[in-house]
Amino acid sequence: MGIKTKERHRQSEEEKMRHRLQPATVLLYLTVVVFLSLFFTHPFYLLALFLAVAIVIFSFDLIREWSSYLKIGLCFLVVIMFVNVFLVREGATVLFLSPAIPGLGRIRITFEALCYGAGMGLRLLVIISAFCLFMYVVHPDGIIRLLGGRSYKIALALGLSLRLFPLMRADFLRIMQVQQCRGVNFHGQGWRERTVKTIPVIKVLLLSSLERAFQLAESLQARGYGLGKRTSFMRNRWRIGDKLIVVAICLVLCLSMWLVMRGQTEFHYYPRLQSVGSGDFFGAVFLGIFLMIPAFLNWGWKKWPTLRSRI
Amino acid sequence: MNWAIIAVVITILCILLFFRRFEKAEVSAKEIALIATMTTFAGISRIPFAVFPSFQPTTFLVMITGYVFGAQTGFMVGAMSALVSNFFLGHGPWTLWQMLGWGICGVLAGFLAKQVQGFSRKRFAVLSALCGYLFGWIQNIWHWLAFVYPLNMKTFWATYLVSFPFDTLHVFSNIVFTMIFGEIFYAVLKRFQRKFSVEYLECTE
Repeated sequence: MGIKTKERHRQSEEEKMRHRLQPATVLLYLTVVVFLSLFFTHPFYLLALFLAVAIVIFSFDLIREWSSYLKIGLCFLVVIMFVNVFLVREGATVLFLSPAIPGLGRIRITFEALCYGAGMGLRLLVIISAFCLFMYVVHPDGIIRLLGGRSYKIALALGLSLRLFPLMRADFLRIMQVQQCRGVNFHGQGWRERTVKTIPVIKVLLLSSLERAFQLAESLQARGYGLGKRTSFMRNRWRIGDKLIVVAICLVLCLSMWLVMRGQTEFHYYPRLQSVGSGDFFGAVFLGIFLMIPAFLNWGWKKWPTLRSRI
Repeated sequence: MNWAIIAVVITILCILLFFRRFEKAEVSAKEIALIATMTTFAGISRIPFAVFPSFQPTTFLVMITGYVFGAQTGFMVGAMSALVSNFFLGHGPWTLWQMLGWGICGVLAGFLAKQVQGFSRKRFAVLSALCGYLFGWIQNIWHWLAFVYPLNMKTFWATYLVSFPFDTLHVFSNIVFTMIFGEIFYAVLKRFQRKFSVEYLECTE
């Protein structure tokens, strides 16, 4: 496993509720949030999803990690806004009309396109935030365990690959040091010179990695890989916390289906923004509250030791 | 109709189909170890280049693996290197599309190997250039379907136009890595392919 990933998961020695959650529960939460954000176009519902995920992230003390995700999200947001605002010519409320530009014509910026861009930007932030939550709550080993039952070849390859990361990094540094001991100077020259000197290092790294792969395969064979049917044992403890989150997700799905059937989650941006009613607001509030259940459980976990022993 | 969800579902199904094929196939311990090693190699190579958008050797590494070891291994290395490297660089909605994009690059290189004897640097470079654009276009499909309205040719081209400089940089990096490392990596991987394909025969007396 990678050094950074290990450090990330060891940052706090004390046990946290998020470390107790089953990877399947978190994966279900991520899937539901992502799919709902793609279903919904109404800004109220997208905002409800965003706030719910943000509050869960906040309660899990992942604000610093989330901020780096949001920075990446902002880059994408700029592209979304650019395409929607400058290149889409829909919408009735014209905010700006440029003189004719050769090849592009007249740039027409409308209020509706601006709102659509903002709405879709919000959708992107919901998706990115949900992935951030998944990334920092689920340990990579948890994902391997999740795959391990049925897709054991993929799980094995994935597990080996994650464990080879630090080894390969150490190999690279070792080969560089050996080359430096032999008088190769990797610093202070032009990029062309440095590239020429790095090529043998990469070649040796590839050779030694493949040699290790060969030994690894021999070792797997010696331990009986591929001989007969494979047995497996998995002990996943579904705690009350997991069960409550799954129930909340089911409630979210039921509520969402009802809202989708009523047409409440759709929002027409063009040609003019549609009006919003109080029903939309309350629907979004309920949806958000159900999705905040992991945050409520985490607060309970922090505050009441009795609850901690049960969750 | 929600095209973004349809695109996501189709992509997940495509990846699962390839993964299922791999699970059902007779895969030796050597192949598993090789896939894991090349996945790590391709994944780790992304990290030092993470600061340069689109300039990274992963596509080249996935393609050269597919070229030497076949389309299935190419797809697995491509898909898994996206999955594994994103544990370090950050998972996001892009992971799924990167898995598909790199997986397809590995498959195409595997197909090219069937048409060519040995290593053809020119043909490999041309394919790597095409794969550079293809990878970018696959990433753009979802962006266009999920975040742009209306879905017409004008907005389609506009979305692709925005990513064109980055895709071109990716193409450039693929060609550069093919020119520098193409023959070296081919020779090394071919040597290990021969080494890996040793069969043990049962001795009967």
